Amino acid sequence: MKATLDLYRRLIGVQIRSQLQYRAAFLTDLIGQGMATGIWFLSLALILQRFESIGGWSLGEVAFLYGTVETAFGTMDMIFSGFDPRFFGQQVRRGTFDQLLLRPVSITLQVLGSEFVLRRMGRIVQGVAILAVAVTLTDVRWTPLKLAYLPVVLTSLVCFFGGLFIIGSTITFWTIESIEVVNIFTYGGSELMSYPMHIYQEWMRRFFTYIVPAIFLNYYPALFILDKPDPFGLPPFAPFLAPAAGFGVLAAGLALWRFGIRHYQSTGS
Amino acid sequence: MRLFWELCKLAFRRQLTYRAATLAGLTTNFFFGLLRAALMAALYGTRQEVAGISLAAAVTFTGLTQATIGYLSLFSWYEVMNSVYTGDISSDLLKPMDYFLFWLAQDLGRAIVALLMRGLTMMAAYALIFDVVWPHGAAQWLALAVALALSWLVSFSWRFLINLAAFWTPGAQGVGRFIFGLSWFTSGFLMPLRFFPDWFQHLCNLTPFPAMINTVVEVYLGVLTSPKLIQALLGQALWAVILIGAGQLVLRAGVRRLVIQGG
Repeated sequence: MKATLDLYRRLIGVQIRSQLQYRAAFLTDLIGQGMATGIWFLSLALILQRFESIGGWSLGEVAFLYGTVETAFGTMDMIFSGFDPRFFGQQVRRGTFDQLLLRPVSITLQVLGSEFVLRRMGRIVQGVAILAVAVTLTDVRWTPLKLAYLPVVLTSLVCFFGGLFIIGSTITFWTIESIEVVNIFTYGGSELMSYPMHIYQEWMRRFFTYIVPAIFLNYYPALFILDKPDPFGLPPFAPFLAPAAGFGVLAAGLALWRFGIRHYQSTGS
Repeated sequence: MRLFWELCKLAFRRQLTYRAATLAGLTTNFFFGLLRAALMAALYGTRQEVAGISLAAAVTFTGLTQATIGYLSLFSWYEVMNSVYTGDISSDLLKPMDYFLFWLAQDLGRAIVALLMRGLTMMAAYALIFDVVWPHGAAQWLALAVALALSWLVSFSWRFLINLAAFWTPGAQGVGRFIFGLSWFTSGFLMPLRFFPDWFQHLCNLTPFPAMINTVVEVYLGVLTSPKLIQALLGQALWAVILIGAGQLVLRAGVRRLVIQGG
């Protein structure tokens, strides 16, 4: 176990050092990453001067949803960069993935360590900032349970998005091309989860409740933390399903990944 | 000029062959469109009209902007940049054709395919599930065609210009990402600029970004009176001239300091 962790640290260390070589380029990249997040918030704040609320939720409340998703997605996108379907699809297509298979180390570890995009820090920092703004705007009544649950929710979200990335990458074993439709679940999912779920049409909400359990990862936890009533009348433990949903999706992703590895046939070129 | 159309035709054909990518892009754009339409409905609530835009028009706006993503390469376009980094630019500069026109021709071919395959299909898909608003009468359709053509010219000239940053820094993609991000907001892609406070609209109008999207949107939705309409189209043309001129100047400065690595 110690050897594994040590190896992972070394793989990541190399990535970080190489990315820090061009300081100025890294810095602009970092700012560029965070930009989109900041822009979104500014745009929403300006728009809400005219519209007041989104489906009954205030700026601070929507920002809470957005801040949690953005922080978690940024973190996931940094740690799981190796499993980014776009990046991983390229490895499969070029056959560089086959090289990893020849090495006597866990393949999952190698893929995880094969890419680590440090500039995602920009996104994470902005996500945390928005979360902080959200908390000040909404004056949440904090209880020990809420305080303890927020990090659990964030971790579950990271696992959830990570699981989706792994599923997207595994699919490229069969499709070779990385398929853009996977973006609907990853980037689309994070966009969808940035707004209160009750604004979507019923079929879409059902899909993201029962097929992809996105609703339990931030909408229900947000209802609990912000003390809002549940419009769908799910059982009272629904806000606490985040860890089950998050780790469940990650476990499903890893299971599919292992199945994929066993059936991987290479592109043969 | 013959060379220009040949290149354009080649790029057109090349783009046509990416059928799977087109379909995948379309599906993703459509899904995001659904999310954005739901957001509009939630914002409007019980309101009938905001800043002269009805809910149906606002929903149409989300479809229209999603339909231009491919046409205007709204999310990224780093082809010139990559050719500087790979060194391909050295052979491109030797071609018996102006470097700007060389890329303009290719982007035109690509844009036409994107407009037909992704733009029109997107609007058709929208019309299937939403009450879509359409332009009224021949004059408005004509104005829309002009606005669309000019928006592409402005968009390309601007993309070309920021790609030239590659001559000065190895990390020009970061610069690009930053400016692309800024453009979603200030071009009126995320929300119609009319929804924003006046001071912010004035600020945006100092940049070329509204000429890429907001003008097309306003012409399409018919919210401009005739004099304002002419003014908006002339504004687009002016920005195109400015950006093309700036691109030429920067390109000349860049080529002078370009060093091609041998070997």
